[in-house]
Amino acid sequence: MTAASAPESLIERLLSGRGIWPAVPAIIVLLFVAVIPFLILLSLGISDVVTVRGAIVSQEFSLRHFSAALADPLYWTTFHRSLTLAVTTTLLCMLLGFPVAYLYLIGGKWWRRIILVLTIAPILTSGIVRTYAWIVILGGRGVVNSTLIQLGLIDQPVRIINTHWAVLIGMVQIHLPIMILPLIAAMSRHDPRLDEASANLGATRLGTLRQVILPLAAPSLGTGAALAFTLSYTTFVVPQLLGGGNYLNAATMVYEQVVYALEWNKGAVTAVILMATCLLGLVVIAGLTNLASAWTRAGR
Amino acid sequence: MTNRWPSRDWLDQLGVGAIVLVAIFTLSLLLFPSLIVVIISFDTRAFLSFPPQGFTLRWYEQVFQHPVLVGAMWTSFKVGVIVTTVCVALGVPTAIACVRGEFRGRAALSIYVLLPHMVPGIVLGIAVLFTGALFGIGPSIWLQSISLSVFVLAVMVRTVMSRLQRLDPALEQAAANLGASPMQSFTTVTLPLLLPAVLAGSVFTFVEGFDNLSVTIFTHGFRDRPLPIELLAIVQQTSSPMVAALSGVQIILALVAMLVLAMTIGLDKVND
Repeated sequence: MTAASAPESLIERLLSGRGIWPAVPAIIVLLFVAVIPFLILLSLGISDVVTVRGAIVSQEFSLRHFSAALADPLYWTTFHRSLTLAVTTTLLCMLLGFPVAYLYLIGGKWWRRIILVLTIAPILTSGIVRTYAWIVILGGRGVVNSTLIQLGLIDQPVRIINTHWAVLIGMVQIHLPIMILPLIAAMSRHDPRLDEASANLGATRLGTLRQVILPLAAPSLGTGAALAFTLSYTTFVVPQLLGGGNYLNAATMVYEQVVYALEWNKGAVTAVILMATCLLGLVVIAGLTNLASAWTRAGR
Repeated sequence: MTNRWPSRDWLDQLGVGAIVLVAIFTLSLLLFPSLIVVIISFDTRAFLSFPPQGFTLRWYEQVFQHPVLVGAMWTSFKVGVIVTTVCVALGVPTAIACVRGEFRGRAALSIYVLLPHMVPGIVLGIAVLFTGALFGIGPSIWLQSISLSVFVLAVMVRTVMSRLQRLDPALEQAAANLGASPMQSFTTVTLPLLLPAVLAGSVFTFVEGFDNLSVTIFTHGFRDRPLPIELLAIVQQTSSPMVAALSGVQIILALVAMLVLAMTIGLDKVND
């Protein structure tokens, strides 16, 4: 009895899940495939490396690559372009996405179903497929040009693809679902009695939206913005395919340095700068979200 | 009130109407691009054009007779299965520890596990590529699978965690009162109740394994190139309706994945 209960109690202790044990395998894997690689990436950014056929043969501490990057005007224009594009994308996603969440709140069962399907299906679809759709629409013989020609509005196809506008349109459409999803979650947690109370106190529907719904949705708006910003700041699919290969953003720059030019130090530096600026952007978004919540709370 | 302010009500209606119109515009923006791709994939003409002038399944046949594409799909399928297996094996126990654990640093653990997903995919991809090179491990289907597993582990952990948190402890209590050992109550009560969340998490990890580009592009093997890599190359070379058919196949897969989500946790719980 006692002999049998000893190993069982060990299993019991493991299964009860009270200890940290169940998480140990994941902790170890993350250590080797995430934590250590990040430290190595950082170390490559601040050192001078000699590689022979993909293997590192020597590594010495040096800030040469960092200072070279900061002195290079190409870096500044590229990061400025990426940042502007990501911020514009995020703002447009908020402007277009929030009304969908509002419709989810006030709409009936069928509206809710339609919104859920149209938001979740794109998230499960490959980003390349969704970008290809815009090539079909905006391309030289694409939907927009064919339609305009058939209507007799233009004789020659207009160049839309491979422009800044094509990239922006694609970016907004592709990152919309990731912005809408947290908002929908907030709306399904929203207590309808609050809106009734607001209406009973004489508020109009727009007044309720501004003073009750929007303040309560502010944290989710922040979550959505953080997701849309991170993804749009670090994507290369859209700029690569809709910008015609010559629209360089930070992500495409990293890719070219690492995969084509095989300049690992440069690539590491760019990746580190990309991650640092991305984190900075997230901190700013978190700060703005807190400010917005505090401000709306003070307003009431 | 309404008599004194006749225009107020009217303005209110107009404002709400405008917001609903923007919402409908956004929803059609989400729907139409994919719809147009699916329509074009059935066109009889060999070049990209609109509106279509016939109906054929030729392009779909071509996709499944294209040896490179079929090979890439098979590779990506394998990656999806490996990533899902690893995420279930590592993620479910971790979620249990994060919710049920009684040890110091439990909050830190959940942050630690969720963190890799917040990092941009390309940064993780490069970091793993460099680290592998340092230890003499070249890019391969295994390097790709393990780095993708680490990247999406957070999704599995979060989905299972949210289910665990809502699980009624009385159910397990009842099993214990009826004489079940902790082992029995775990396998007969807790595990079946967690199954929908594990399945839903698996949908996301499989799709990420199958479709991810940002991590994949730096870690995939050069011999067995996965679908996103081939797809990116093909889209850059040609816009033949075959690409539309290939997109159509992926859209159908996404709809199947969504159906599984709807049947397991319900679409409205996806972001909980």
